[in-house]
Amino acid sequence: MNPTIALRMVGADFLKLRKKRSTLIWALVLAVAPLLIYFIVRGLQHSSSPAQNSPAGGINGYEDAMPVLALFFGPLAAIMIGTDSGAGDLAAGVFRDLVVTGRSRVALFAARVPAAVGLCWLVMLVAYAVMIIGTYALAAGTPTPGGALVVNGLLFTLFATGILCVVAVGFSSLTGSRPAALTVLIGWQLVASRILENIESLGSSRKLILSQAVAHFSPIGLGEHHGPRGGATVTMSTGTAVIVALAWIVIFCALGAWRTRTMDA
Amino acid sequence: MDPSSSTPAIETTGLTKRFPLRGQRGERTALDGIDLQVPRGCAFGFLGPNGAGKTTIIRTLLGLTPASAGTMHVLGHPVPAERAQALRRVGAIVEEPRFHMHLTGRENLRIVSAVRGPETLERIDPALARVGLSERAGEKVKSYSMGMRQRLGVARCLLADPLLLILDEPTNGLDPGGIQEFREMIRAMVEQEGRTVFISSHLLDEVEKTCDAAAIVDRGKIVTQGAIADLAAGGGARHELIVGVDDVDRALGVLGASELVAEARRDDEGIRVVLSGDPQTAAQINAALVGAGLGVTRLEPVRHSLEQRFLAITQRLDADLVPEEVKA
Repeated sequence: MNPTIALRMVGADFLKLRKKRSTLIWALVLAVAPLLIYFIVRGLQHSSSPAQNSPAGGINGYEDAMPVLALFFGPLAAIMIGTDSGAGDLAAGVFRDLVVTGRSRVALFAARVPAAVGLCWLVMLVAYAVMIIGTYALAAGTPTPGGALVVNGLLFTLFATGILCVVAVGFSSLTGSRPAALTVLIGWQLVASRILENIESLGSSRKLILSQAVAHFSPIGLGEHHGPRGGATVTMSTGTAVIVALAWIVIFCALGAWRTRTMDA
Repeated sequence: MDPSSSTPAIETTGLTKRFPLRGQRGERTALDGIDLQVPRGCAFGFLGPNGAGKTTIIRTLLGLTPASAGTMHVLGHPVPAERAQALRRVGAIVEEPRFHMHLTGRENLRIVSAVRGPETLERIDPALARVGLSERAGEKVKSYSMGMRQRLGVARCLLADPLLLILDEPTNGLDPGGIQEFREMIRAMVEQEGRTVFISSHLLDEVEKTCDAAAIVDRGKIVTQGAIADLAAGGGARHELIVGVDDVDRALGVLGASELVAEARRDDEGIRVVLSGDPQTAAQINAALVGAGLGVTRLEPVRHSLEQRFLAITQRLDADLVPEEVKA
């Protein structure tokens, strides 16, 4: 397909998402509000009893806030945006109007992915900025993260949420129902994966859990040292983590594209 | 694509669509060997009761659902083999027009324009103007009335600069003023812009007033198709008169002896005369009656309505008395 048309299709999908205030606002709330609450509560604790409570910011605060954004609430915001993108045309009843243009259905699906990831990353940039402001503003003289860690943390946040967003686009395109996809994916992310990764008898098969593979890339070592906090309980090689993450993306994109191509519109 | 092509706008042969029965074995046949020809440059009605298969044929033609058997050509292109080329100059509204309600009318058109191609971007404003929505194009679609959404649906079709417009029940939900406006727009598209408009409807009056030709479909089969006047007359060009005279018995004798009359019978309104020739012979009938010394008080052509014809056909089908034309 002509790259100009592809870009315009992505832009059109981005417009649909960007203008949907409910999705955008809730994604922002999910990504930003927990960080604000975290910094406010920790800041109040520290100010009331500095000897017993470390500052909300600084390197410690950053390391505590990072999983909140990148591995917990950020992915939920990504799921919200991804499911809206995957099932939005069907929910609005306009999918058939796009199909009757003669444009390939796979192209229609493909345009959803970068649009959703683009909006997801915009939300994450805002949330990450809030986190960095909190980290430095509330450091109270303690060490703060260096530039490299800040950049790596941002890349990790975008990576962790971007993958979930792509999976959400594929899964909601597969189900054709945003509520169903939202329920299943949030249930998986918040409940099922947490349970499965803590069942030791599953052994190395737990490497297949997406959040485990993602946590491997954390710049603050969540993959090996911060099980209870980051949810990472399985160690794996970088190669394995890459393959697992790619497999999730490829499988869900393939399923979403297949369903978009074959469904009665 | 050659707009002046002599191929029909739509042509189907043996088009069949079967759906699996939910929760049961077997299939339901929604389209049963449809042979349809829609000539270019006309408004063509696809008429049938609810559940007859009207929307299914549209969905099949547009590639929204695959056919089970048969062949289809849209604007000369085989579908689905050349679906993209076939639909490039086709605009369609399937069932009610749907939009992203949280976007404005113009933004909704921008989305379809992005999918259709960059050449359509410059058609957005003219299309909005064409349907009279320029001033409201910046408002969210959720604030639009049903009539405005129908018009926005047509504007969306116009982005393709369509040679063929396919409209599924386009006047559903419109008030009488909106229906009249819509009808005029369709006629202008056909007569002034040379487009072909394919309208599916269960509203006989609508098809009769808007279309040049029609097909009547029932239970997945084409029952009959042709020019509206021919369809209404019963397949052939059957011309009838109601004649009022001062002496019915003597007039029946005069008419019975005339070669211009195929049939004459008494009815509630006087004498119903079926002409054996064209309607111009009515003047000769009048002359014959007057020449026989009869006082002619009424000489009125019978206007056959498509509704009468439609009801006759569907009632016959209901009684499982399948007419010859269906068997053929």
